[in-house]
Amino acid sequence: MIAVELRKLFRRPRTWATIAVLNALPVLVAVLLVWTDLAPRPGEGPPFLSAVLTNGALYPLAALAIVLPLFLPIAVAVVAGDSVAGEAQAGTLRYLLARPAGRTRLLVAKLVAVLAFVLVTVLVVAAVGYLVGTTLFDAQPGAATSVSGTSLTPEELAVRTVLAIGYVAVSMLGVAAFALFFSTTTDSPLGATMGALAVLVTSSLLFTLDAASPIAPYLPTRYWLAFVDLFRDPVLWRDITRGLALQAVYVGVLLAAAWANFTTKDVTS
Amino acid sequence: MPRTTVAAMASGWRAAAPRWAVVGVVVAVVVALPAIVGALPVADSAVPAAELRATVLAADDVRYSGYAESAGGLALPVTRQLDSVADLFSDRTEMRVWWRGPDDHRVDVVTAAGETGIHRDARGTWTWEYERATATREAATPFALPAPPDLLPSTLGRRLLSEATDEELTRIGARRIAGRDALGLRVTPAEPASAVRQVDVWVDRASGLPLQVVVLGEASEVPALDTRFLDLDLSAPDAATTAFVPPPGAAVRTAEQAGIVLEAGRRLGPVRFPGTLAGLPRRTLEGAPPGIGLYGRGVTLLAVAPVPPRLADGLRRTLAQSPAAVTDDTSIRIAAGPVGLMLVDPQDARPFLLTGTVSLDALVEAAAQLPVLVRQR
Repeated sequence: MIAVELRKLFRRPRTWATIAVLNALPVLVAVLLVWTDLAPRPGEGPPFLSAVLTNGALYPLAALAIVLPLFLPIAVAVVAGDSVAGEAQAGTLRYLLARPAGRTRLLVAKLVAVLAFVLVTVLVVAAVGYLVGTTLFDAQPGAATSVSGTSLTPEELAVRTVLAIGYVAVSMLGVAAFALFFSTTTDSPLGATMGALAVLVTSSLLFTLDAASPIAPYLPTRYWLAFVDLFRDPVLWRDITRGLALQAVYVGVLLAAAWANFTTKDVTS
Repeated sequence: MPRTTVAAMASGWRAAAPRWAVVGVVVAVVVALPAIVGALPVADSAVPAAELRATVLAADDVRYSGYAESAGGLALPVTRQLDSVADLFSDRTEMRVWWRGPDDHRVDVVTAAGETGIHRDARGTWTWEYERATATREAATPFALPAPPDLLPSTLGRRLLSEATDEELTRIGARRIAGRDALGLRVTPAEPASAVRQVDVWVDRASGLPLQVVVLGEASEVPALDTRFLDLDLSAPDAATTAFVPPPGAAVRTAEQAGIVLEAGRRLGPVRFPGTLAGLPRRTLEGAPPGIGLYGRGVTLLAVAPVPPRLADGLRRTLAQSPAAVTDDTSIRIAAGPVGLMLVDPQDARPFLLTGTVSLDALVEAAAQLPVLVRQR
């Protein structure tokens, strides 16, 4: 069933169209940077963007930082929101459930497909970022400087970049879990997607308010940018471990809720 | 409703209830966990306040690393040259620290997209700014502007306790900070002129290191400054971690800010200051320019200095922008939390600036006692 869901997801043109659109923004930013040679001022703009002008090998990280706040979660919410509600809207859900596999297995298969989408999307953004960065900017793969001002060997840079890609992928799992849960509660994929995005907008807004600081550590978007901490020296694990634990809690709770709802739901379409 | 439909719904609910109960239990555990951990009791110790203070002062050789957060509530009206100082006291500052000693430590101010690392060695500091790719060298001077290392609970707590008298100290129980048992010590300044109501210092029971410092002004329940460790490791950090060599491609500069301040102080020329102002005795501070009069002790401090007329004009404009500014014929004064500032600019005398952790009434009293102003009136 998992293989079926994966095939279905990656054979859809709109999946690849979503990934392509997602890559358009970092490419546009890179072209504008080369064209104008205007780096963001310190304290402004996404992380790593100003460092890219001197080392294009860092562009995968800048590309991830560019799509992380909005475009990447939108793409994940669209795909995850569509996973169950899309079948219900198309009238195919009851046929899927007619198979002897059971609802829990279908939910797991849908979840795995969404996870695969998240991973492929993040990898493609990083890969396109690397290509764009090394093509358009001066690439110095052997001479990267950490955020703390120490030199990183090419191996260290590669390992930390892989870890950052993994961390960003995990950060998106909370969004996917929200959208998947909403997807089991409605027959409208748009409703499920908008529900997940409403949670993200709320979280991002509350994060900027001092009055919300007591609940800030529990907001789903709180630790998204912590992948930057992988490039400090020594690595600052504090927010990274908290980010991973927080995503695990959100994913665990929301999947349990999705399972409780979906396995007892009266499916009519 | 047909009986079969009702029966089907009841059966559906019976199937759903245990599953939702599992979800409910998971959510309840997850939500309650932080509160349960926070409510775990901390055993207090019967150690007297004076003894606890002595423990803190004796613990100046403790080596550690950690993560600290400082939140300032002071909107200091300063000119653009001192923005970085004002930010320290008005913003939230997240700091990573590796401490091997007063002359060998590293404090990184961590931001979402970069960091500013301050590496101290025996001869001065290197300041690394990632987003500017700039390394700045500054020679060590006894008199320097406030910097992030001064806001660490360990540094600030020790400094504020160092001049407190035993009569000003009381014990205030215990709490858990950074996962460690901390004993509370309250300083209530004895000077009537003080604008600081109290300073609470929470001291690590095991090492004597201050883990949290909370400064409260006279008029507000919101701390003027709250700095605390969120993580602390008492093992000695490596020398390689605190050392710094500018990376290839970085712009290397030499800092001039402290030099400019010192030069400005030297240009003021010596001034004859009285022995006491607003009931606060005069004090000396190593490296302070002779043109600046320093008064007070502990958390109650007052600085008085003549200012050049052009600088006075700029200061007056800056102070006047504050809605809380009190203006009369010859002076303007404001209070930013427990910090008071007063610019005195009479027609027939040079302008003077008075500032410190004293009340506005104390500033007015001090200005009236300045012989330079009294004589020329």
